[in-house]
Amino acid sequence: MKISEGLKVIEKGWIIKPKGYRVKYQKRINSELITEYSPDLEDKPLDSDVVAWRYAWKLYMATKSDSPEISDGELINIFVVDDSDNPVKYYTTNQLEVFNLREINV
Amino acid sequence: MEDQITKLERIRDIMMLHGIELITAVAVLIIGILVAKWINRVLKRSLSRLTANATVVSIVCNTIFVLMLVAVVLVSAVQAGLQVRPIVRLFVLFSLITVGVIVVFRPFLPSLPFKVGNTVKIGDLLGKIEATTFLNTRLRTFDGKTFFVPNRQILNDIVINYHFSENRRIKINVGVRYDQDLMKAKQVLESIMIEDPRVIAKPAPVVYVLNLTNNCVELGGRCWVDNMKYWVTKCDLLEKTKYRFDNEGIAIAFPQLDVNYYNKSDSLVCTDQNRLQGHGGSFKSTIEEDRMG
Repeated sequence: MKISEGLKVIEKGWIIKPKGYRVKYQKRINSELITEYSPDLEDKPLDSDVVAWRYAWKLYMATKSDSPEISDGELINIFVVDDSDNPVKYYTTNQLEVFNLREINV
Repeated sequence: MEDQITKLERIRDIMMLHGIELITAVAVLIIGILVAKWINRVLKRSLSRLTANATVVSIVCNTIFVLMLVAVVLVSAVQAGLQVRPIVRLFVLFSLITVGVIVVFRPFLPSLPFKVGNTVKIGDLLGKIEATTFLNTRLRTFDGKTFFVPNRQILNDIVINYHFSENRRIKINVGVRYDQDLMKAKQVLESIMIEDPRVIAKPAPVVYVLNLTNNCVELGGRCWVDNMKYWVTKCDLLEKTKYRFDNEGIAIAFPQLDVNYYNKSDSLVCTDQNRLQGHGGSFKSTIEEDRMG
């Protein structure tokens, strides 16, 4: 195998480079849980998982409530996904993480 | 005295004959210039919203402004009763001479090594170019200060234009303790760079062992990113390196100095902590130097 072919194998098999990141969350609208993304799927995704996780955390801090019920405007199950909608590990812990975890259907 | 009276009478006669035309021409000129300026301002604002390229906006607006001024002058001349054809000929002749001079002498004219909107370093000043004139350049530093730098100083100084090349290399240097798994540290650092979407694939990221210092094995990660994303990517990669090394159990080294004391009666010279712990007669003191040391 030539080196160029070897590099192609490495590129396909090992290097997983997402094209961008989005924050995925759920919110209650008319007693129904709706899943949304930020930025929207039509918009350009964020190019940094660090920025995406910071954004997710800020969304959580801005909308969290102490009540056990999901209040209006509260965002739940907030986490970061890549362009293929796969959950992205939180870079500080290298584990999958969800802010304001309320449901199991994450 | 008589001469002055004659002159005044002549002016009066001219005003009687062409006064209305002249006043109308001046009014057209003033109003035309004001309207052209207003249109230019509105156009500049609208185009700035449409495109981020400040140079294109500036060229388009200035060209339209000059054409509007020419039109205003022509209309004003017609109002004043002048012949349009000679003025148009004069204007065309003047334009051709100007263009010819610029084309011929342009290679000999010193030009500034940047455009509006570029991020540059001129001497000790790092910032974004906001505007350039014949005399000076307006530069805004990233802490919000605006500098007016004389162009002659720029032409005599070393200028780094960060927009000149498309990509830029990031250096991530990390010191790893000698007792750590070096290969694992290299792999982790390389993975961090490879996985980031902003890091370009070719040339591929690499990790070198740069140095074996007194305190650590110095690793050097090198990768290339888009010039526009250099700073944020570098900060993100450094942050991720710290966290990932912590998670993988790789200890980042810090400057330190081990001082070992031993009793003369004890024949065994101890050099590391494990061995010291096994010999009650010896003790060890570790002095951690601060980073300034």
